[in-house]
Amino acid sequence: MRRVDGELILWWTLPAALIIWIAAFLLFPGFNPPMSPVMSADQVAAFYRDPAHLPEIRYSMIVFNWFGVCLVPILALIAMQIRRMAHRTPIFSYAMLGCAAGGPTLFLIANVCWLLAAFRPERSPELTQLLNDFAWVTFTILVPYLIGQSVILALAIYLDDQPRPVFHRWVAHFNLLVAAALVPAAFVGLSLSGPLAWDGVLSFWVKNGAIVAWIVVMGGVLGQAIHRQRGEQSRTDAGRVPA
Amino acid sequence: MTSAVTPRALPLRRRLLWHCRNNPKRELWLAWGTLVVFYNVFFPVFFVVTRVQPPPQPAWDLATQVQWFHERHLGIPLGFGIIFAIAGMTAVNNALIAYSMRRMSVSRAFGYSYLLIYSLSAVPGLLLLCIALIVGTLRPQRDPRLIGWLYDFAFLSFDGTMGVFLIGSLIWMLAILLDKNRVFPKWFGYLNLCNALTEVVVSPCWIFRRGVLAWNGQIAWWLDMVVFGVYTVAFIVMLFRMIQREDFGTGPLPARVA
Repeated sequence: MRRVDGELILWWTLPAALIIWIAAFLLFPGFNPPMSPVMSADQVAAFYRDPAHLPEIRYSMIVFNWFGVCLVPILALIAMQIRRMAHRTPIFSYAMLGCAAGGPTLFLIANVCWLLAAFRPERSPELTQLLNDFAWVTFTILVPYLIGQSVILALAIYLDDQPRPVFHRWVAHFNLLVAAALVPAAFVGLSLSGPLAWDGVLSFWVKNGAIVAWIVVMGGVLGQAIHRQRGEQSRTDAGRVPA
Repeated sequence: MTSAVTPRALPLRRRLLWHCRNNPKRELWLAWGTLVVFYNVFFPVFFVVTRVQPPPQPAWDLATQVQWFHERHLGIPLGFGIIFAIAGMTAVNNALIAYSMRRMSVSRAFGYSYLLIYSLSAVPGLLLLCIALIVGTLRPQRDPRLIGWLYDFAFLSFDGTMGVFLIGSLIWMLAILLDKNRVFPKWFGYLNLCNALTEVVVSPCWIFRRGVLAWNGQIAWWLDMVVFGVYTVAFIVMLFRMIQREDFGTGPLPARVA
């Protein structure tokens, strides 16, 4: 088995992870619709004390805890593709690896806060609200490394000077667009209502939509790039046989 | 990579464009420029926009802590919004420093260790502080005891995240001292030791609420900040000179890595 075949196995974890993520997203009652930041402490406590919500919160967050880090192997595969680009230094692949664990780590902090709030729903409503605030702010503001990896990848593609670049230019433009769509979520602390609030158009829908779009599009072009690499290697191997 | 001569006669904008297209060191200059931009935003955000540095006193009563948050209810979410938008730049900074170790006559393990440790460091050492302070300003009517908990959490996670910077700096130091390629002068290796030692003297902030060793004290904060400032300027200059000396020539790119 060649190295690149192993990479394909890693790549196939993405569609599986995506289905699991979407299922967990739909199961968590706080996402459908997103909880309002203007809920009082008592309303937040009532949300966690609701017997119908409690198992949904726990099971969805346990699933997210299991599979949240599934993005890391995909970012490692992208770093491998960056290494195939015509660069003089490994700066971009290093930077990509530097970003890889940041997003999942921040997500896990949010995840733990949601699970903590659900662990003892009888806790005082103010404490439950604090955990809920911490979870939502962290979940919304986890964009730094996602912005970073999109911009780094875009720059790496722009500087990939070769007749058949690893990724097309439009992939770089797309990554910059995704990075721009993620920026407003960084300002979630400015308001409890409106588009920047954690349930707002920019901080929730645009941000999470951009993440899903990035996963789908990058999954597609990454799969193509790995297949192409596999084809090139097969031809090279076939060329060696007659000798 | 067509011309060996830098077109000094061109106007600035076209000269910049030429460098973006043709300069063999463009990846390194891009990373170095990112480093400069990041620190030029980082310090003003912490000292001017959010005004969370110099740090407030750990010994303040709850009413004063609440008042402190109230005075920053706009600056904190705005300034830290900027930090969260650009914090990905730290990955490029760390990549450039890891690259400096790749240029040395030491094992790749040094650069990789530094990259991993410093990538990890941003979460407890920077981003958690920002999140705790944003949550602190989110609801002014929150129970002051909870705001006080966020206040301690923020400043202690920021100042009290020590090991990542301690070990990270020591790894860079060791690489510089072992290096035979003379990528950096030896004195810069010892300056890394000074930076590492600041992480030792800051540790009493977990114990003392007043005095020179508290999180806002003359030793735990002021002395450390001076060393960090000198260290930051020094490594920005050192990396600049490393890139200047780097000689990739002007020939074609190296063969693709399969």
